[in-house]
Amino acid sequence: MYSIEANQLTKQFGEFTAVDHICFQVREGEIFGFLGANGAGKTTAIKMMSGLLLPTSGTATIAGYDILTQSKLIKKSIGYMSQKFSLYGDLTVFENMQLFGTIYGIPRRELKDRIMASLRELDMDKQANTLVDSIPLGWKQKLAFATAILHRPKIVFLDEPTSGVDPIVRREFWKLIYQAASKGVTILVTTHYMDEAEYCNRISIMAEGQIKLIGTPEELKQQMGVDTINDVFVKFVKR
Amino acid sequence: MRIILMLIKKEFLQVFRNPLLLSILVVAPLVEFMIFPFCADYEIKVLDIAFIDNDRSQVSRDIINKFNASGIFVPHGLLESKEKADAMMKHDRIDILIEFPHNFEQDLYNRQNTRIAITANAINSVKAGIGTGYAQEIIGGYMQDFAIANGSGSMQAMAAQLQAQQAAAQQQRKGSKTTSIQSDSPIMAEQAASIDISNVYWYNEQMNYKNLIVPGILVILVTLIGCYVTALNLVREKEIGTIEQVNVTPIKRWQFLLGKMIPFWLLGMVEFIAGLLIMKFVFGISVQGSIPLLLGITAIYLLVMLGLGFFISSVSENQLQSMFIVLFLFIVFVLLSGVFTPTEGMPEWAHKINYLNPMSFYIEVIKKIILKGSEFVSVQKETIVLSIMAVLINTGAILSYREASK
Repeated sequence: MYSIEANQLTKQFGEFTAVDHICFQVREGEIFGFLGANGAGKTTAIKMMSGLLLPTSGTATIAGYDILTQSKLIKKSIGYMSQKFSLYGDLTVFENMQLFGTIYGIPRRELKDRIMASLRELDMDKQANTLVDSIPLGWKQKLAFATAILHRPKIVFLDEPTSGVDPIVRREFWKLIYQAASKGVTILVTTHYMDEAEYCNRISIMAEGQIKLIGTPEELKQQMGVDTINDVFVKFVKR
Repeated sequence: MRIILMLIKKEFLQVFRNPLLLSILVVAPLVEFMIFPFCADYEIKVLDIAFIDNDRSQVSRDIINKFNASGIFVPHGLLESKEKADAMMKHDRIDILIEFPHNFEQDLYNRQNTRIAITANAINSVKAGIGTGYAQEIIGGYMQDFAIANGSGSMQAMAAQLQAQQAAAQQQRKGSKTTSIQSDSPIMAEQAASIDISNVYWYNEQMNYKNLIVPGILVILVTLIGCYVTALNLVREKEIGTIEQVNVTPIKRWQFLLGKMIPFWLLGMVEFIAGLLIMKFVFGISVQGSIPLLLGITAIYLLVMLGLGFFISSVSENQLQSMFIVLFLFIVFVLLSGVFTPTEGMPEWAHKINYLNPMSFYIEVIKKIILKGSEFVSVQKETIVLSIMAVLINTGAILSYREASK
């Protein structure tokens, strides 16, 4: 069974078609990369799949639930990390996790332990009582990821989680993604760093709202006869 | 339940960590209460006055001296001509002009009819009305003394007549639209009528404007906290993007809105109680009616305002938009509600609009309970209307709040 299955998913804003009849499947535990230039429609697609935006036509099933009719059930089984950092800056690290943990219904006696365990993994347990506004961006992104998976969702949507973050933190961030995937979490991640695409199990390249290429990084490189995903992308854009 | 408690905790943490919001919550009521009641005052304490004295007699000089000594009128001297006086009034240099006729003193002693003309600049009709009132009072007072000094019974009657005129002039005030009110005070010698007018202003016996202004400020305070703060709060989350992180969770709309409303509802009630305390200990106005009743209706009114605030913020894109909407509504509410101006003089259509104005119902309740000490029966209608408004606007707020955009 597929974790994510998009079927002719389309979003139009007036005359402009942001996402144009995309179809793809993501298997359970897979790390699926959404690549594409800015404005290719990646964020719009993610917002539809996570229930923030209603599609114009087509549909998708997420964890077996339909996005048109079962959005409440979907919301219980997904985690989401927005392109724009969106935790509360005037709450502490712990308070943010406590707030979202509570909303997701993590039992009270379990919540505190889970938060502390998660912070220890990030090496952030000392910052538990620091206001989120005052920690550096890289840490904020790691925190946002930890918060998004605190309720142990089946699927996590990550919208450009590493944009604006230094290479070291990016590497650490991908370590976290691998850790989560190894526990069976399906991950859909958008990025425009082509080197990150190499870390994905499978990738798709979007342009003008359509999925132009899809496959494992190896397949795509062979298909285009180049050595890196970066070259795949450049060649694809020139074509 | 646990989710809502968590949301309330979150909201309070944010409020107490936001120095700007906190200072608005604390400073705004203090400033409003400490400054406004002393400025927003209908009493006119300074009036510019000039005289045309065609008589140049002892009596006219005495009357002029009385004016000059009154402490209310600032004298601008004797003018030679009516033209000069008109020019001065046109340039706003004088508010009131007193004109004594020829042979004024002589006519008085001879018990002939005579008139003093009081002309007022009625661009500011309140000032004009009150000014002529004061002027008539001074002249009337003088006439009474004059009558006693001259031992004449008919002189006393004359003074009484003047007082009656005065009351009539005050009645006319409202309708005056011309730029000047000319009220002649006929001083008739042979008048037997003796009318004694004594005014008692119920519920506000000293005609103390603070009694009216202070409860009005209380209303504005509650409205501001209820509507303004909440309208900005939700839309701020939209701007920062935090609302997206909440919308992606399985939280229910009513849970989220309740988690937003309860904290601000509590804050509003605390502010209201603080306002009542300031009212009592600073202005000496204590609530005549039942305080629990007052708090109960305030709680309902706050729900209306909170709902309105959330409705506005869920239809606006950013804080600027919602601020404009709130500001616009707020001005309409205040001006039509009768907080500072009586609604009785408003045209019929304004009264009709007022049926949609929650503030007009609430100010009625406030005035009735605080100043009159009314029981529930006399505020029943307002309570019912406010309750219906609360239900409607909050339903609207929940329905207009969308987790997923189109």
